[in-house]
Amino acid sequence: MVDAKEALLRDLSDSIVEMDEEKAVKTARIYIEHNYEPYEAIASGLAHGMGRAGKLYEEEEYYIPELLMCSDALYSGMDVIKPHLSKTVGEEKHKAVIGVVEGDTHDIGKNLVKIMMETENFDVVDLGRDVPPVEFVKTAKEIGASIIALSTLMTTTMDGMEQVIKLLPEYGLEGKVKVMVGGGPISLSYAKKIGADGYAQDALKAARLARSLVQGG
Amino acid sequence: MTPKERLKLTLAKKSVDRPPFICLGGMMNTAVEEVMDITENKWPEAHSNAELMAGLAAGIYEQGGFENFGVPFCMTVEAEAMGAKVFLGTKINEPRVTSYPLQSMKDWMKLKRINPEGGRVKVVLDAIKILRNKNLQVPLVANLVGPISVATSLIEPTMFYKDMHKNPQIVHKMMTFITENLISFGKTQLEAGANVLAVSEPSGTGEILGPVLFREFSTPYLNKIVEALRDYAEIGTIIHICGRLKNVYRELEDIKSDAISVDGITSIKKMVKNLPGKIIMGNISTFALEYESPMRVKNMAENCLLDGAKILAPACGIGPRTPLVNIQIALEAAKKYELNGVQR
Repeated sequence: MVDAKEALLRDLSDSIVEMDEEKAVKTARIYIEHNYEPYEAIASGLAHGMGRAGKLYEEEEYYIPELLMCSDALYSGMDVIKPHLSKTVGEEKHKAVIGVVEGDTHDIGKNLVKIMMETENFDVVDLGRDVPPVEFVKTAKEIGASIIALSTLMTTTMDGMEQVIKLLPEYGLEGKVKVMVGGGPISLSYAKKIGADGYAQDALKAARLARSLVQGG
Repeated sequence: MTPKERLKLTLAKKSVDRPPFICLGGMMNTAVEEVMDITENKWPEAHSNAELMAGLAAGIYEQGGFENFGVPFCMTVEAEAMGAKVFLGTKINEPRVTSYPLQSMKDWMKLKRINPEGGRVKVVLDAIKILRNKNLQVPLVANLVGPISVATSLIEPTMFYKDMHKNPQIVHKMMTFITENLISFGKTQLEAGANVLAVSEPSGTGEILGPVLFREFSTPYLNKIVEALRDYAEIGTIIHICGRLKNVYRELEDIKSDAISVDGITSIKKMVKNLPGKIIMGNISTFALEYESPMRVKNMAENCLLDGAKILAPACGIGPRTPLVNIQIALEAAKKYELNGVQR
């Protein structure tokens, strides 16, 4: 019995790395039919595979088109599993607000960060592209987010990130929400300069950073 | 030596008195607020009025900035002509696409052809004619947004990138159609008086695609454009690619332009080392140009040249709030640079 479950978890993980949406869905269905613990299908199966894909990206084996295919497989697999998750698992999740700052529409990086953060068990509210600074802060307050994640690819829109940070006291969120930043023109020194709590260079590192920020790291 | 002669000789790998300092135009924006105020040719009006566009482009040269003319000031003209909806922006924010004409790759045949008789396509061509008639010995760049970057302004980029794996035939069909249109637009610009061909491909980078997809979907189409148009570009051909290029040096060898322009994240030194047959252009950080002191900008410019850039240029389109003095000082750095590496 244990072997069968392990084999399915392995298949779930592989389906992501193999960019095989059909396999992810098929395997997820079989897993559910066997009544195994649904949360493990995500944590040790699908999310595990996405983590492997993220590593392949860091190692420059996989690039953006591959990661996009992997994330399709991930989401399709998750769609099968999610309805079977018990409610309490959902309540333990930290919430995050993510988006691309106002004036910018490049969002592939942001989408990948969102996926990686979801595999780290964050509940992510995605505000999309071209988001005014005040929207990030308002939404974070509304949903009780622990993290605001900001992305931009353009030097001309970087200011929006500092504006978000400056708005936090006005909404009573100073010290209550951690702000992390990323994107092509962003650097650790820029993040420090504007008072952000963290900077990450790619989606995998961003998810790890988010995890460490909420764990008081 | 006039700026025109200097760029032509540089691209032909012949000896020159010192490196040229240019900014292509198009996606590699050249316009800054100070010049808008001096010339009274401001954004967003300058995006859709040929006189204002030409006046602003000429202004940046006349104020001791870049040694070329480059229009337009955004990467939305081609996409708009093919069906995208565009917001023209503000005085300090460039135009951007607000709505894609395609909801699915299957619909690619709904794309419109680039029509030289209308809209901002005509504005660009008329601006080129005005700039040509100024009859200055200054290079006039015909700018094209690269086919992958146009494609990802016509449909949700994730759909496009995924179909490179799922349905490569349809990607090739769409790319072929876009490339044909770009060749046609490039030709009308060169016939209107432009004398340099520049193709800027921010979204079709080695960093996004990786070497295998870059070789399949980027190189062939960029080369198609260069091969079709190089005989019309008296001064030469340049391709700008954003992002980390270290994984695609081998693929870049096959690119047929005279020069390759790179952004801040790519090492000029390594490009020169890995691509000895190519003129490398770049790559002063646009963040530095906007926010750093003139002294710092001067040092960075000198470093680009010391690293082997034969054409000095910004790493990307410059932010409109970039202080004019920082552009002027980069030009000074180019003027003072002797090509045997010793500075006067």
